[in-house]
Amino acid sequence: MDVALIDYYANHGKSFLHSAGGPGKMLFSALVITSIVITDEFYLMLAIYLALVSMAVLTRLSVARILSIAAYPAIFALLFVIAAWEGSLLNSGVIMLKALTAALTMVILIATTPYPDVFKTLKPVLPGIIHDGLYLTYRSLFVLLEMTDELVKGLKVRGGLSKRKYLRNIVNFSSGIGLVLLKGLDITEKYYGVMKVRGYTGKIASDKNGRRFSTDDIAVVAFGILIFSVSLGIKLSGNIGQSGLYALVIAAIILITSIAYIAKVGH
Amino acid sequence: MSHLHIPDGVLPWWLVLTGWICTAVLLTICIYRVRRMELARKIPLIGIVSALMVICMTLPIIPFAYHVNLSVVAGIILGPALAFISIFIVDLIIAMFGHGGITVVGLNTIVIGAEAVFGYYLFQTFKFLMGSYSVGWSSGIAAVLSLILSTSILVGLLYAAHVNPDLIIHREKEPYVESAIQDTESNVNNGVKIGVFAKTALTLLFFGWILEGVITGLVIKYVSGIRPDLIEHDTT
Repeated sequence: MDVALIDYYANHGKSFLHSAGGPGKMLFSALVITSIVITDEFYLMLAIYLALVSMAVLTRLSVARILSIAAYPAIFALLFVIAAWEGSLLNSGVIMLKALTAALTMVILIATTPYPDVFKTLKPVLPGIIHDGLYLTYRSLFVLLEMTDELVKGLKVRGGLSKRKYLRNIVNFSSGIGLVLLKGLDITEKYYGVMKVRGYTGKIASDKNGRRFSTDDIAVVAFGILIFSVSLGIKLSGNIGQSGLYALVIAAIILITSIAYIAKVGH
Repeated sequence: MSHLHIPDGVLPWWLVLTGWICTAVLLTICIYRVRRMELARKIPLIGIVSALMVICMTLPIIPFAYHVNLSVVAGIILGPALAFISIFIVDLIIAMFGHGGITVVGLNTIVIGAEAVFGYYLFQTFKFLMGSYSVGWSSGIAAVLSLILSTSILVGLLYAAHVNPDLIIHREKEPYVESAIQDTESNVNNGVKIGVFAKTALTLLFFGWILEGVITGLVIKYVSGIRPDLIEHDTT
């Protein structure tokens, strides 16, 4: 998992999606996820996926990286498809697309939104302990990732991870996890001390100067509403096959236009 | 790897909703139970244990894409209530990275939370029976048994879900209950062939359970050797 890369994207990107606020993008994600839940038709699912690829293109980030990060759940969706195989490729395709589209939605959200903004948006609906736990977990991720990286390098250099010595590798790797955990705890305890000195009493304060709803927010939410309306409309109309194909053609046009736009204005 | 890597929109809404409601109730109970703890000190601990779980859960072990959860490690170190809270946080974060559907976070928390809670109590039982010198064995066996239990919950959930792409996608105009009864009668079980799924899952996951048990045992043994206070603490 490329946590560091995603965090870099979220903090250094310069697209309209990066300019939009957390609440707008969360609403967009909720609308798209709802669309995924209510959509059962292959072409419409593909259309939603292509629409999201257009969004990924418009983020001006590496689309290949974003798509590869979002493709990870496909491995597990494939296992599920095999277990649920009924002889229909289209049905299996719908399941695969649901996994890929939902993952892409979330990756676009976190690759364009710094994590404090995401968690701040969730704060009103989450208990304090969970909200603060989210903050500290995310922060600890970077500390632990660096330590894990150093650990693996250290183990390899000292012959702790060797080919065909599986049992020894597991023992060394497990001790390594224990070491990372204890080192992480030491760092956390020091961090706790610093927080305590700075007045921490069990609640992390957040920025109360909320930003205004901008045109970027409106654009993002409007796109989400469009996707949701099309999904709901097609679901209710009953003319699923034909409408799904129309939606797919429109999504393909949006994708081509997005690529052409980014190619013209540059990254 | 006993949690649900099921995409959004595949499980029936009533099951997803039930998962969220049960998780909300369990979280409320957990938060109530830890209210007298010194949370200012515990929250950073939750952070580091959750972060370690997130890293392990997103590192697939080649070639069969298994990953360790370390949920029993979390249960032993944090105690059942804090571990359940920690697991909700982990599930929420990994769902944000597209690792499993966001709508199944509730169900995932129940499945992995069960691992942590049962792991903690089984560890305490084995430690009591085998003596405190066998923390490695106690935690390893507790991990394997907890994983068997959580996988059983997982298979049970899929059985309850009656997941069948064909039914969900093409028979939406039929009354759901009616079609469910028909398929149960014809022993299709309305979707994922539960026997096939259970056999596949149990065969694939067997090696994973052993691996996770060994890793859990070794991690806890290592931790107890250096910081026994983390294992012997007063937990809620």
